[in-house]
Amino acid sequence: MLEIKDLHAAVDGKEILKGLTLSIEPGQVHAIMGPNGSGKSTLSYVLAGRAGYEVTSGSILYNGRDLVAMPTEERAAQGVFLAMQYPVEIPGVTTLTFLKTALNAQRRARGEKELDAMSVLKLVRGKAATLKVTEEMLKRALNVGFSGGEKKRLEILQMALFEPKLAILDETDSGLDIDALKLVAEGVNAQRSPERAMLVITHYQRLLDYIVPDRIHVLARGRIVAEGGKELAHELEAKGYEHIVGKAA
Amino acid sequence: MSASATWLDERRAQARERFAAQGVPHRRIEDWKYSDLRPAVEGANDDAAAAWSIRMRPDGVEVFDLAQVDAPDWVRAHLGTLPQSVMASASLAQARSGFAVRVPRNLAAGTLDFEWKGAGSGRALIVLEEGATLTLCENTRTVGFANLGVEAIVGANAQLTHVRIASRATAAVQVEEYAVQVARDGLYRAHLFNGGAKLSRAEFQIVLAGTNARAALSGVSVLADGAHADVTTHITHAVGHTESTQLFKKVAGGASRAIYQGRITVEQGADKSDSRQTAKALLMGVRAEADLKPELEIFADDVKCAHGAAVGDLDADSLFYLRARGIPEAEARNLLVHAFLDEVVTGIADDEMRKFVRAMVEEALPGAMLP
Amino acid sequence: MSAAPETKKQVAEIGDKYKYGFVTDIEMERAPKGLNEDTVRYISAKKSEPDWMLEWRLGAFARWKEMREPNWARVHYQKIDYQNAYYYAAPKSTPKKQSLDEVDPKLLETYKKLGIPLHEQMALAGVAVDAVFDSVSVATTFKEKLNEAGVIFCPISEAIRDYPDLVKKYLGTVVPVTDNFFATLNSAVFSDGTFVYVPKGVRCPMELSTYFRINASETGQFERTLIVADEGSYVSYLEGCTAPKRDENQLHAAVVELVALADAEIKYSTVQNWYPGDEEGKGGIYNFVTKRGDCRGHRSKISWTQVETGSAITWKYPSCILRGDDTVGEFYSIAIANNYQQADTGTKMIHLGKNTRSRIISKGISAGKAQNTYRGLVSVHPKAASARNYTQCDSLLIGGKCGAHTVPYIESRNPTARIEHEATTSKIAEDQLFYCLQRGIPQDEAVSLIVNGFCREVLQQLPMEFAVEAQKLVGISLEGSVG
Ligand SMILES: Nc1ncnc2c1ncn2[C@@H]1O[C@H](COP(=O)(O)OP(=O)(O)OP(=O)(O)O)[C@@H](O)[C@H]1O
Ligand SMILES: [Mg+2]
Repeated sequence: MLEIKDLHAAVDGKEILKGLTLSIEPGQVHAIMGPNGSGKSTLSYVLAGRAGYEVTSGSILYNGRDLVAMPTEERAAQGVFLAMQYPVEIPGVTTLTFLKTALNAQRRARGEKELDAMSVLKLVRGKAATLKVTEEMLKRALNVGFSGGEKKRLEILQMALFEPKLAILDETDSGLDIDALKLVAEGVNAQRSPERAMLVITHYQRLLDYIVPDRIHVLARGRIVAEGGKELAHELEAKGYEHIVGKAA
Repeated sequence: MSASATWLDERRAQARERFAAQGVPHRRIEDWKYSDLRPAVEGANDDAAAAWSIRMRPDGVEVFDLAQVDAPDWVRAHLGTLPQSVMASASLAQARSGFAVRVPRNLAAGTLDFEWKGAGSGRALIVLEEGATLTLCENTRTVGFANLGVEAIVGANAQLTHVRIASRATAAVQVEEYAVQVARDGLYRAHLFNGGAKLSRAEFQIVLAGTNARAALSGVSVLADGAHADVTTHITHAVGHTESTQLFKKVAGGASRAIYQGRITVEQGADKSDSRQTAKALLMGVRAEADLKPELEIFADDVKCAHGAAVGDLDADSLFYLRARGIPEAEARNLLVHAFLDEVVTGIADDEMRKFVRAMVEEALPGAMLP
Repeated sequence: MSAAPETKKQVAEIGDKYKYGFVTDIEMERAPKGLNEDTVRYISAKKSEPDWMLEWRLGAFARWKEMREPNWARVHYQKIDYQNAYYYAAPKSTPKKQSLDEVDPKLLETYKKLGIPLHEQMALAGVAVDAVFDSVSVATTFKEKLNEAGVIFCPISEAIRDYPDLVKKYLGTVVPVTDNFFATLNSAVFSDGTFVYVPKGVRCPMELSTYFRINASETGQFERTLIVADEGSYVSYLEGCTAPKRDENQLHAAVVELVALADAEIKYSTVQNWYPGDEEGKGGIYNFVTKRGDCRGHRSKISWTQVETGSAITWKYPSCILRGDDTVGEFYSIAIANNYQQADTGTKMIHLGKNTRSRIISKGISAGKAQNTYRGLVSVHPKAASARNYTQCDSLLIGGKCGAHTVPYIESRNPTARIEHEATTSKIAEDQLFYCLQRGIPQDEAVSLIVNGFCREVLQQLPMEFAVEAQKLVGISLEGSVG
């Protein structure tokens, strides 16, 4: 589904990703771990197509298509979803309006029929309850004044709503209390399916206890320096990054 | 100033033309809306020369008396070269007294303390070469009508801290213009104390000309009875990655008048400029007046600019809180006014200077708190 | 609710950005070109005005000849040749009409295109419409229902004939004949406009609305609006404006006067979408308008809401004179300037009475090569004890070639008054844009969404039917401004 080959990417002329190779099959969940500043969020932005994140060489194939050539919103419509480390606040735009606009934009781009306000509301309500996203939050401006945990829950609600093919979760666990972590993990697990791939970025093995990955990649200084099964997370937790990163260097 | 050097004569002639084209400003001129200079200077002697004296001069700093002939190259290179506002043009054209200061490259000079006296025109030029630092303490004690023009060239990575003390001068008309240019990584810092005059106008034209150039202005005006104090600033972010901050506070008692006009210009392409501007006035006098005009003029899009302004009386809730704790009203008011001004005064890094300004505030406050 | 999909559709349908840019082909009757005393007499005669009105106009004209065009606003334009324009143009077929059926069907067609439903469906919406086409008022609907309530809502030309005492009592008392260059010009040559009188204690049973349209070429439009809300009454008034696309610049110099007597409230909303000129800055309306409200009686309230998206140049400061004690003035504004548009707009809040309160919320958006200035005055006079003002003034820049300027004047002469002013200027945040794109929302739609969010506080002030229209306009005005 996703094939990244020898990816080099730069921000503001500074190379951050330096030859990253990674591939994910449908139905799989992969985790990316790595020290602060190693380039994890950068990778997620490159995949989502954020302006200013420039691919200098290498390739990214998404279902056989050149992802780099696709405009940002088209990637979204084609099923690439990024739950952001720091979800953005948009004052004056209510959450529900935003959800409706995004959902219908994606549907339109795929040539599907747009949904009216009532249908969207029904759909959202159905998913919101399990994630404890309240009616009141839906009426407030998007993410404005939301707590860290509320923002993260809203990201997962969007994932449930848009039903992406490739979901990238950038530190969705950070800032969550224990109950919320479970809630979010359950939300994510509920969406595991044979057609859907997930890339979970995290610092903590704890999340991976709930969302058990098929594979773990360790990212350091812009490349993958170690890979393994779910047991790698325990090793990292026990010995720290230095141990593995140092070995690789 | 130096009698008859051609370079100077030319600059003065041009300045005279600029001034003649506009004349003495009055309240129908937008920038002078709140300070009607024309009637205030009626009959003043144009030819008088304001007196200056340097009371403390740090080692290694060169001083040149502008009345002397044979100005050194650095004076020729800079005197009268920065953009001059109308009254700055007048002082350049007319001044026959003044001085120039040069702080050589990388010299961390201490404090240069000077004062203006008398009436008439005067001129000063301050040049900080690359990496130099200086604290300039200016005391304005002029009488009658004085028009003083100061130019400051802040070199790359240089830091000029400018403390200006203008204590109450009942009958004086004090006009002072500062033209400041800050090169890359340079810093111009100003702390003003204004006691007010019959008419007092301090006008700053500051250009942030190099990357990472910064200007930080702050000031308090503490005005009693009929005092007038106009602080007008214009900061131009000519290039990107420049920063300016301003914090001005005023307490106006009696029938005094506190004025702040602050214009920020961010020129096209000066992206990542950051500018903040705050002006607050407390009106204590029943016939006091505050006029604030914080202006933004933005031609670049990638900027962060904000300004805030407020006029009012003391916060009723705070006053109530203090009185509920047994503090008598007069004392409570006093406490709150001090707190209001202290936000500015505590920003003065130099201990001596801070103490000095605080003392000035103490002295002026009782009068400014009278209705 | 997002306006963008509909916006898209609309734009696609008309194949161009300015939907109202059509010309209606109707035979016009015009005053001879140019401006002199005879022009003034001609207009007055056309309107069968009483002598006092003609005298009033002539007085204004005499003053105007002595005046100079103001130049303090941050707008630049070629000098206007006042002799090279028509000051009166009227569709030939319409002068006296008793009912809608007598109105030229072509005109009705025009209003349909403008989306103004003049017929019965308006009853459902509860809106009464007075439509001004070039210089004359074409049709006023729902007169009867309003009559029952005692509300007078009619073309001002009619009011001058039918209610001379009311008009004499209030006309020119808020915006004096000599107020400013454009207001004085208007006083001399105004051709029509709207008059509203709401009697004591009456809550106007429906929203009142006027649509202005300039159709004829080389014609200035000078309408005059006078709204008087008598003690304890309430009225909400809406105004919309459009004009055809023309290469020439056309002048629109209107005057609006509002009078609120004790305990009365007037809510005045404008959606201004005059033709803004093309992408190169060619053509467009010069919108030089004087709008002022007088809170004459105690506890009265005047609230201005404006959405300014059109015009090549906008020069406009809807103001409130807070004369009575405990009066309230409000100004909610969205001003969008794109391409070569120039807007210099804001308000004046003049606090004269005790305990007067005012609130200013201004949202300015600049794109393309436009210049957008907020200019506002808050003035507290010595007798205005305990006056309060709050001002929030935000500017948004889209692209690095436009300008956003904020020029507030704060003048306080009472120690018990409290004024607070805050302003910010920034660009559309890159992270907000990215967030929208990542969720599949295309660029133009994302901009429209974010800007509508930025303007929300003002949009909320508009009556429902107008709010939707205004949201769409915001989207259309900024189309293609990013990227
Ligand atoms: N605009 C930029 N200009 C220069 N360097 C940048 C820019 N944006 C990010 N970087 C740098 O790129 C590196 C990778 O950042 P990134 O956010 O991808 O790290 P991360 O692995 O997600 O870290 P964390 O675990 O803290 O979230 C960091 O060193 C960061 O400082
Ligand atoms: Mg990160």
